[in-house]
Amino acid sequence: MSIKAAGITKSFHHFQVLKNVSLEIKEGACYALFGPNGAGKTTFLRILATLTRPSAGAFEISGHDGIREKMRVRENLFLISHGSYLYDDLTVIENIRFGIEIRGRNLSDSEIKSALDRVEIGAFGRLKARFLSAGMKKRLAIAKAILIRPKVLLLDEGYSSLDERGIAILNHCIREFNNEGTTVFMTTHDRARTAEVAHHAGVLTGGTLKEISVRDLSGSHELF
Amino acid sequence: MNFFKVIRWMVWKDLVSEIRNRENISSMFFFAFAVILIFSFSFSMDARSSRELMPGIIWVAFGFTGIIGLGKSFLPEVQNDCMEYLQMAPVSKGAIYLGKFAGNVLFLLAVEIILFPLFILFFNLDVLDKLPMVLLIFLLATIGLSALGTLFSALTVQIRAREVMFPILLLPLAVPVFIGAVESTRGALNGDPLALYGHWLELLAIFDMIFMIVAFWLFEFILDE
Repeated sequence: MSIKAAGITKSFHHFQVLKNVSLEIKEGACYALFGPNGAGKTTFLRILATLTRPSAGAFEISGHDGIREKMRVRENLFLISHGSYLYDDLTVIENIRFGIEIRGRNLSDSEIKSALDRVEIGAFGRLKARFLSAGMKKRLAIAKAILIRPKVLLLDEGYSSLDERGIAILNHCIREFNNEGTTVFMTTHDRARTAEVAHHAGVLTGGTLKEISVRDLSGSHELF
Repeated sequence: MNFFKVIRWMVWKDLVSEIRNRENISSMFFFAFAVILIFSFSFSMDARSSRELMPGIIWVAFGFTGIIGLGKSFLPEVQNDCMEYLQMAPVSKGAIYLGKFAGNVLFLLAVEIILFPLFILFFNLDVLDKLPMVLLIFLLATIGLSALGTLFSALTVQIRAREVMFPILLLPLAVPVFIGAVESTRGALNGDPLALYGHWLELLAIFDMIFMIVAFWLFEFILDE
């Protein structure tokens, strides 16, 4: 299993956000997590990303314990989140170079150019990050994922801020990642777009996870 | 080795950002310049009283300038959740600390080196032959101040009362650095033999080592927990 979570529970003070959530995702699969606002989707994703420690339970990413082997887990994953993780005074290219080379990978100019072209922001390489729109920042994050090629890609509302073309690019990348063995876990509200790429889906409500069929995503009935 | 690469990238990122926006350096410079100006108009000093008061005036200016600069040093990491990215990066958090620390030392030294000629000018200091020793004192004191300041800047950057908490945490622990800096600067400016004030330099070096080791070790917990 690429992602394996068992009995994940998370409480903030006396409020239990996640109640005994368990989940298994095979290598190369795409799992989409739905749920109402405040259901705990982002909290669960942040736990998988090693940013938040669960109150109880355990999880593994690519066979490494998420609590005891954080460093090994972090080598294998990449998170596209609401935060752009960009430094406003660095250019797009400089931000990419910093963000990836700090992880220990050397990048050539052509690799960066190719990744930026893939997400169709190649013309903005020398623009400072402060001038990018939210959608362009999201595309830049996708370019980083293309360059890093993580074993596990986490997306927190990955479609938000993206235009139609951006969503198509992201979905194309997700399919390509899956084909190469990368596992994708995403939180989302966009059923139609998610249905194009997801292999498995679940709904998080009241802190508990219920697996659903991806066929349900195409219907018009309420998920939660 | 990736450890040193991380340090290099952190320093590069902070230098490039600062050169482009000049937010930190300019606020530090103008504050310190105002302090020099106020003190120079407040006291009419003869050579003897100048030698007595100058070390204190210098370190009031540099110390509080340092607080302004160091307190803001982690703000760029918070703006777009970059701190989260650094937290998730599969790298030594100690290397990230050392990178931020090295950047802070460079900024503070740059401001000190720009401002010191103004001290010489406004207070008629005769220091040319003492310059290497004065610069060594600046370096040692700046390392100590930055070692603590970088740590507390990371610790307080995400709390609402950051601007209150940062000096409250930093100043009591920085007292040995300030005392060592003032006493050794006095010895150097007076032209005393090194044997008379060398122990203050040793004190500065020892505190630099202690602060750096403890901060390096603690930073892992600050960034990760």
